[in-house]
Amino acid sequence: MNEDTELEGRLRRAAELFDPVPESLLRVARGAYAFRTADAELADLTFDSLAGPAPVRGGAQPRLLTFDGPGVSIDLEITPSGAGGRVVGQVMPAQQATVEVRGAAPRTVTTDGLGRFVIGDVPSGPFSVRCRAGDTAFTTEWVTV
Amino acid sequence: MDSDSTEHLFRAAADGDGAAWEALVGRLSPLVWSVIRSYRLIDADAHEVFQTCWFRLADNLGRIKEPDRVGSWLATTARHECLKVIRGSRRVIPTSDLDVLSPGADDRSPERAVLDAEEADGQEALLRSVWEAYERLSENCRRLLRVLMASPPPSYAEVAAGLGIAIGSIGPTRGRCLAHLRKLLAG
Repeated sequence: MNEDTELEGRLRRAAELFDPVPESLLRVARGAYAFRTADAELADLTFDSLAGPAPVRGGAQPRLLTFDGPGVSIDLEITPSGAGGRVVGQVMPAQQATVEVRGAAPRTVTTDGLGRFVIGDVPSGPFSVRCRAGDTAFTTEWVTV
Repeated sequence: MDSDSTEHLFRAAADGDGAAWEALVGRLSPLVWSVIRSYRLIDADAHEVFQTCWFRLADNLGRIKEPDRVGSWLATTARHECLKVIRGSRRVIPTSDLDVLSPGADDRSPERAVLDAEEADGQEALLRSVWEAYERLSENCRRLLRVLMASPPPSYAEVAAGLGIAIGSIGPTRGRCLAHLRKLLAG
């Protein structure tokens, strides 16, 4: 048993030496605190086509996501493109809204009257949007695009 | 409650204490990284999943009901995100051993200074032989041991959350894998 503990300790030191947490990632994680949102307005990921045990795969299919917030929801369809993706979405119930991409490169788009919008060239990495429709505002959970 | 316990750090961070958040990142990043590495994603994907886990925790600070289980929460989140990357139509080239053995100069951890001293002591060659033997283990063993390598050592609940396995299976598998590793090192 002690032998095992000792060998595991050597593995731990080897991992610290050969595969440490990259410092650049620690910086991002520390900085994530500044991006946090109030919990009351967080829209949960309630459907993700990649969440199933064995998704049907036929080439590069778009990923479908649904987030549910208080009284509103947002559907996203993400198609891989270049080094990231193209996001087509709709705010439900259908209404005009502004949609803001969160994170290091924020952008804002306005939907059409039915709540539909397109965001091209979303870089790969963590992705979340903040949505304002009428007097409600909500923020989606982060997903990896 | 211990003032530097994970639970305490979590509660303080949820109350707006930025320093506590940074301490929490320092405490649990090796666990998150170890879980992600155990799935052997390519580096770019591993980096993105790691970031998503921490962004998501920041948003959920007010919603996690069991602050003492935040490590398990992060490990579970990392596992789910890794599996989605693997299932997605994205890059699925496994990480090469060369990448793992040659971390970029920019990616050195704060512990590096300490380890540099060990290197000077001739420790690096010993650790490298352990690491190379580890790389020759079966995929199941590599996966479990990679999570157990997190520093500080993870609880079995955190390991189980990160790998989606039963807590009871960890001990026996660990014993078997370490015995195999010892054999490789002797041979």
